[in-house]
Amino acid sequence: MVNGYKPATLQEAIAIRSREKVIPYAGGTDVMVRRPEGVPFLFLNDIDELKQIKDDGEYIRIGAAVTFTEGLKSDLVPAVMKEAVSRIAAPAIRNAGTFGGNLGNGSDKADSVMAGFALDGRVRLVSVSGERILPLGEFCIRRGVTAIRDDELIAEILLPKKNCDLPYYYKKIGGRNALAISRVAIGGVYSVKDGVIEQFTAAFIGGGNVCKRFEEIEATIIGKTVDEVKANAEEYVNAYAESMTFTRGRVSAEYRKTVIMNLLKDFIQTING
Amino acid sequence: MNGINFKLNGKDVCYEGAATERLLDVLRDDYELKSVKCGCKEGECGACAVLIDGVLTNSCCVAMGAVDGHEIVTVEGYRETARFAKLSEKFAELSAVQCGFCIPGMILAAEAILSVNPHPTEDEVREGLSGNICRCTGYNAIVNAVLNAAKEGDGLW
Amino acid sequence: MKEICKSIRKKDHDPKIEGRSVYVDDYVTTADGREILTGRLLHSKFAKARVLGVKLPELPDGYTYVDASDIPGDNNVNIVLDDTPVFCRDTVEYIGEPIGMLVGPDKTVVDRLLAEIEVTYEELEPVLDIRTADESFFNYEFGHGDVEKAFAEADKVYEEEFLTGYQDQTYLEPQGMMAEPEADGRMFVHGSLQCAYYVHGAVARALGTGPDGVHILQDVTGGGFGGKEDFPSIIGCQVAVAAKKVGKPVRCVFDRREDLEFTPKRHPSLCKYKVAVKDGRVTAVDADVRFNAGGYSTLSAVVLQRGIIAAPGVYDIPNVHVTGKAVKTNTNPCGAYRGFGAPQTFFAMEMMMSHIAQDLGEDSIAFKERHFVKQGDTTSTNGKYHFPVPVPAMLGEIDALCDLRKKHIEYRKPQTGRYRRGIGFSAVFHGAGFTGSGERDLIKATAKLRKYADGTVEVLASNGDIGQGVRTTFPKIVAHELNIPFERVYYNHPDTARVPDSGPTVASRSLMIVGELLRRAAIKLRDIWQEGVEQEVEEHYKEPDFMIPFYLDRFEGDAYPTYAWATSAVEVEVDTFTGLVNILGAYGSFDVGTPVDYNIVVGQMEGGFLQGLGYASIEKMDYDGKGRIRNNSFTDYLVPTSMDVPNMKAVMHVEEYPDGPYGAKGAGELPLVAPPPAYIEAVEMALGGAKVHPLNRIPFSTEDVILEWNKEVL
Repeated sequence: MVNGYKPATLQEAIAIRSREKVIPYAGGTDVMVRRPEGVPFLFLNDIDELKQIKDDGEYIRIGAAVTFTEGLKSDLVPAVMKEAVSRIAAPAIRNAGTFGGNLGNGSDKADSVMAGFALDGRVRLVSVSGERILPLGEFCIRRGVTAIRDDELIAEILLPKKNCDLPYYYKKIGGRNALAISRVAIGGVYSVKDGVIEQFTAAFIGGGNVCKRFEEIEATIIGKTVDEVKANAEEYVNAYAESMTFTRGRVSAEYRKTVIMNLLKDFIQTING
Repeated sequence: MNGINFKLNGKDVCYEGAATERLLDVLRDDYELKSVKCGCKEGECGACAVLIDGVLTNSCCVAMGAVDGHEIVTVEGYRETARFAKLSEKFAELSAVQCGFCIPGMILAAEAILSVNPHPTEDEVREGLSGNICRCTGYNAIVNAVLNAAKEGDGLW
Repeated sequence: MKEICKSIRKKDHDPKIEGRSVYVDDYVTTADGREILTGRLLHSKFAKARVLGVKLPELPDGYTYVDASDIPGDNNVNIVLDDTPVFCRDTVEYIGEPIGMLVGPDKTVVDRLLAEIEVTYEELEPVLDIRTADESFFNYEFGHGDVEKAFAEADKVYEEEFLTGYQDQTYLEPQGMMAEPEADGRMFVHGSLQCAYYVHGAVARALGTGPDGVHILQDVTGGGFGGKEDFPSIIGCQVAVAAKKVGKPVRCVFDRREDLEFTPKRHPSLCKYKVAVKDGRVTAVDADVRFNAGGYSTLSAVVLQRGIIAAPGVYDIPNVHVTGKAVKTNTNPCGAYRGFGAPQTFFAMEMMMSHIAQDLGEDSIAFKERHFVKQGDTTSTNGKYHFPVPVPAMLGEIDALCDLRKKHIEYRKPQTGRYRRGIGFSAVFHGAGFTGSGERDLIKATAKLRKYADGTVEVLASNGDIGQGVRTTFPKIVAHELNIPFERVYYNHPDTARVPDSGPTVASRSLMIVGELLRRAAIKLRDIWQEGVEQEVEEHYKEPDFMIPFYLDRFEGDAYPTYAWATSAVEVEVDTFTGLVNILGAYGSFDVGTPVDYNIVVGQMEGGFLQGLGYASIEKMDYDGKGRIRNNSFTDYLVPTSMDVPNMKAVMHVEEYPDGPYGAKGAGELPLVAPPPAYIEAVEMALGGAKVHPLNRIPFSTEDVILEWNKEVL
């Protein structure tokens, strides 16, 4: 193959990756728009190990080359992830775009990555020298920059099973009803026992230059009663707003801030239990 | 590995060019399949949509290396089928073709909807066509044509 | 329904749906087998600059740079005035202005070489603000009655400003033209275009050949909406000059970003309205209309004319004064887009009427209703509404569709909670055909029918099918009158070498004007029909006798022979947490006279209606402090998808026009004009009405909703 490699296995792929500068290619929907020249592509789209969705008891493991459409068809993929993925672009893009690509391209508007954050997900990276599992918060550094090394490939997204069946909140605001990039999106899961919040996550698109959670704020919510949290919703929302940096892009910072705060309030008010 | 081997409209072909080339450009320039239209080259309009293994895909966002071992269908390879004839008849009845530039992609999007869901609701059709921009019709005629094809094409899909 | 209204299979249905239609980018070689070179334009990077030099990289064999020095004829593109150059003169007047063209066999190499060209500029201060721009290409003023007296006697005077933004036509097929030098020395230019004879005049002038030295063919065209009215003349000249220089066929097809950034769009506008009200009735309108023309005048004169003539809307107002300016800024030249200046002023006038009614405490539908023009009333230009005005009946029709009147009052009441509802109404017209005496004095359309010995009949006219269906409707009219099967009449894409000039494909005129010529020609042919011989008949445009002559210098007389009418309602639910506007329903009643093919006309209405909704809401395009359009991709310029307005309903109201074929009037543009004011009135109503949140601009995005809503919260 001229200017490309199409390994049959992950082993072969990481061997090529360790040897030479290549551009990992999973679904193509992002890389073909940017279309960097002069560097061969490493085609991962037909590597069986990267196309699996598995339940290992602790994690739901989504292979990096699983397409969004394939994810939507799977019974294993949690509801919040499905909802996020179902709103990505349009069918032809969901048919090609992958979970690994969405994470690997470092977009700060990656819907599946945001849902992964909400689920406290991790990423499994592999290379010839072994593998690393990183929380998404460590992997996503800022727009366009991730913690991946030049010799690594994304193998799987790991979603902790304990979070997968929790009640969730998800809202995406794009420029239109389809084919729209998130201007603001928010997703989170929670659990309540005897009126006390035991688990709470909230992840955001539009609250900085990277998809993000704020674990220190989450910690102040966990352990409180639902009633307390609802009564003090304003305070929590303000704490979030202060931790975020709202930037101007396709929409203004003021818009992003207002909508994120409104939706976060809505999230808190809709907590059941 | 030498060339890129794939099936194109039912025939085995081997592409000898670079794996980084766009499927869209190769289909139009090398195989002269001009039903595949270039509307934006960014995956935002669906004019270049083709079926890869029966799945709707924007050919502008596919590199040639990725199609190795797969099967591609464009309207040139679809227009002789009974399914196409049914869709064409229903599109004609509602005059759903105006400028025509989005139509080959739209037809393949319709096939992609009906091949997995022979009796879609209007919402499902609208979602299935949502990546195919049409600036002429306002979509009603196209959506209704697909629904009519589903209704009367019983057994075809 | 008349027989002629019944829908038939469109002539171009099969080739288009089968993917066999050849658009300009689809030619592998020329018809005679020659290689086609790729031409790509070198665009200015500055909004205003003197071009000091162009340094070319070393050009491989077969690659050529073309610029103004290569123009054999005249470096002025024939549009309305002469100011638009084929390639830039000493200065560039907007970002994107073509400086030259690089031509060669390999697209990739052409693009690489183009990127290596170094242009040195002396940057000059650009003019970018429509408010402060002091140079105007066109200034008009007209009116009737005594405006000053009306303001002096008014109970109340209202003043408000309205802003509208760019709108891009977003035809799915980008601009593209191709030129082929022919063996006989003529230049053959063809491509994606609306007006073959406009291109003909422009190319002949640029090449200096005289009219017989060129001929122009319309290829299958993937949408126009006005965007391919003047621009193909410019690219047509560029490829022709290039082809002339290299002696080979040259094709230039824009990519989407180039098309979004550097081709004509709808003029942004600033309209200042001053309205006098006495005893609850509008007695005077003083409208100051400013259109941002961009760097060259192109079509701004005629766009502005249509816009200002519509300034008082569909209302009978005794005293009117209108001024119109097309100001020059160092931005992309604006041009034609469906509606042609009227969407801007109708938006202003409809919102003005709504705001006044709200201030007076009257339901705005009832208020508007009291002012509707009727047959026999005077137009803004002292012409006459010669025919019945069906607007009251059409208001009734959309009321029946969506319970408009009741909801319009219901939603005005205070609302609580996250989701708020509103419903808006608008009534508009579209003057049918060219403005003023254009048809009579400038176009002088001629159409022909040629009957062949085998009994088939060919339509010879210059109107291009751009999706609106004239390849179907023209033959349908002819077949109907000749009483022969539809299959025996055909209409090919026009080539100026073989068709007469029946005028451009603009102004919703093709069916009404040329369709009528063809109908009359068919009757003539029917009368002289002889089996087995070739026969030809010809018809020329004649102005209807009832017309009050129009004088452009005074804006006096009948600007249009008749009008197409629309009423629309848009119902929304606004999410005050996110600014999302859910369009619950969009309803339009349209009178375009007799629909010559029902499905085709409904398709026009629905397509135009959705474009109008996009214009009002999500279609946002603007330039930055340097004059650069930033929304130059489909990621950043959003048009509606199939999921955005799922419940849109168009109904037809038929008020026949005696001088149109079977009663048909102009259709194409009308549906776009109606929705913006209805949409904005609905959103405004949901936000609490004009007293708290007066809205006066489009597009009004989800972000705008939130920023407006915050004004109250803060």
